[in-house]
Amino acid sequence: MNLNLSFQLDFPPFNLTIEQALSLQGITGIFGHSGSGKSTLLRAIAGLEKNLVGTIFLDDSCLINNSDRKPKTFIKPEQRHIGLVFQDSRLFPHLNVLGNLKFAAKRCQNRRLDFNEIIKLTELSSLLHKQVDELSGGQKQRVALARAILAEPKLLLLDEPLSALDRQAKASLLKLMLNIQKQLQLPILYVSHSMDELQQVCDKLLVLSQGKVIGYGGIHQMIHQLNYTQNHTQNYAQSHASHNAQVENDLHQQTSLSLPIKTLDNGHGLAVLSLSSALDEQQEIYLPALAKNTEPLHEQTLRCFILASDISISLIEPFNSSIVNHLFAKITALNSQGNKVLVTALYGGKKKNGGEKKGQEQIFFVNISTFSQQQLALKIGQSVYLQFKAGAVRTYLY
Amino acid sequence: MISPDVLALVTTLKMAALTTIILLLIGTPLAWFLAKMQSRFKVIIEAIVALPLVLPPTVLGFYLLIAFSPQYLPGQLWQQATGQQLAFSFSAIVIGSVLYSMPFVIQPLQKAFEQLGDPLLEAGSMLGAGTLDRFFNIVLPSTKASFITAASLGFAHTVGEFGVILMIGGNIPGETRVLSIALFDHVEAFDYAQAHLLAISLLAGSMVLLSAIYLLNRAAPKTPKTAKKAKRVNNEP
Repeated sequence: MNLNLSFQLDFPPFNLTIEQALSLQGITGIFGHSGSGKSTLLRAIAGLEKNLVGTIFLDDSCLINNSDRKPKTFIKPEQRHIGLVFQDSRLFPHLNVLGNLKFAAKRCQNRRLDFNEIIKLTELSSLLHKQVDELSGGQKQRVALARAILAEPKLLLLDEPLSALDRQAKASLLKLMLNIQKQLQLPILYVSHSMDELQQVCDKLLVLSQGKVIGYGGIHQMIHQLNYTQNHTQNYAQSHASHNAQVENDLHQQTSLSLPIKTLDNGHGLAVLSLSSALDEQQEIYLPALAKNTEPLHEQTLRCFILASDISISLIEPFNSSIVNHLFAKITALNSQGNKVLVTALYGGKKKNGGEKKGQEQIFFVNISTFSQQQLALKIGQSVYLQFKAGAVRTYLY
Repeated sequence: MISPDVLALVTTLKMAALTTIILLLIGTPLAWFLAKMQSRFKVIIEAIVALPLVLPPTVLGFYLLIAFSPQYLPGQLWQQATGQQLAFSFSAIVIGSVLYSMPFVIQPLQKAFEQLGDPLLEAGSMLGAGTLDRFFNIVLPSTKASFITAASLGFAHTVGEFGVILMIGGNIPGETRVLSIALFDHVEAFDYAQAHLLAISLLAGSMVLLSAIYLLNRAAPKTPKTAKKAKRVNNEP
């Protein structure tokens, strides 16, 4: 499914200008800080912003054509077959849970989905006869999600659906989203200001800043690109300790990975992922053990990330260390940022003594002080050992 | 032979019921329009709607009397269309009541529509509900309490009307003689016993009506929150 956006929308002093073709498969994330225009973009696609100038095409059908060219077109939101889950659920207070779900199902013209199947999938069976105001935040969003799906849209838009929830409810809804996407093959556009959430579920990422697109591409690639450009919060623990749902700027320089799972628990409280490389031996990455019942949601791989501040550099192979992860890598870039240096290192680029390149390359980002850089006399092209503790390999979902 | 006071009661109820129905029919779209309107002229329309609240009823009645008389256009048009004179007719007092009670119906509805806002309507359209569908299945049930208030206030206020009716309706039994006018007649004729009876019935009737409104509004499922929140223990997934 292709979405072609070419429009401008003015809310002085704010202006949203989008020229972008998106190929919608799986979950596409839209990231940006508040005021970047990401929610407005979703509303424009949904048809809730009528005053835009330009065109939006979903595959071959024109949703709006409000440019100088004739004829002008505006397909009403209710005729677009696009679903939207709002940040604030917007369940109908005069109906109970079942009533809300039926509201959607009744208005769906050619129903293909089984009502009870969706209720099972969204785990709502026990809540059907509850009043809307008896539900917790997480339950409300689950109902809103189920309601949107029961209208059987061609495309589902999610506008910060998790921002008002606690961490546990977030994780459970993210898993549900992945599950729904997988089972229904429904393209999803997911707006969030939380990179941790997006990193877990998105296949592609569109990055907005001040009403403009500043990047679009694969999730890992885009996160890595942002390492160079965006302002970052230096302290991960600090930004996550504040339980304010609207923590701004939870963006950290990081390495974002999808790695095949080898073992969920190796008997020592560690899980093992494999990092395929050009080297002969299979490199293993250790992280805290995952629960035995963990269903890997991305086939057999795990989405994880390592903060640049959690990796250190050693010039000799650290055999005598409690740090379990060490990788041989080559420095490809050094970017000074104040008294810090962002080191970009490539793992598995080349075989040590010539030979053919096989397996995947993996880029890593390391944040060190300028002091350390001078001490170690690091240069581009230099080979080093990256080391990080098992606990530094983080995953938001488990 | 039906007693004149009972006839007056029937006329009053007929007038109030018809007025309320007409007011709901024209007041709902007008209130909706006002709630969604963003133009500068909104204030002016709101002021016109609210005018009967402050204007002495006799002023409204006086202008209506002139307009309804066969010498002026509205009265002429009516006469051509129906063959009957508009002034001093049942139709005249219904039209007068509609104007006189308008703010009591429009204001609660407008407030309810403003409070409802766009969020639920947007949610409805994203689920495929068109304009009328949204009105009947989202707006109406969500603002039911305000509709009850608006209808009851419009009805009660029309029952209590005097000045406008005296000016444009006169005192024709079975046509324009309503309870408040009948009461005035009894007092003028020094028939205090009958006046007392009417007055106390009106007082009691109004009391019952208003209590019923407040009871209905309390019973409407609007705020069961406090009681139920306490019951809910951590049942997060």
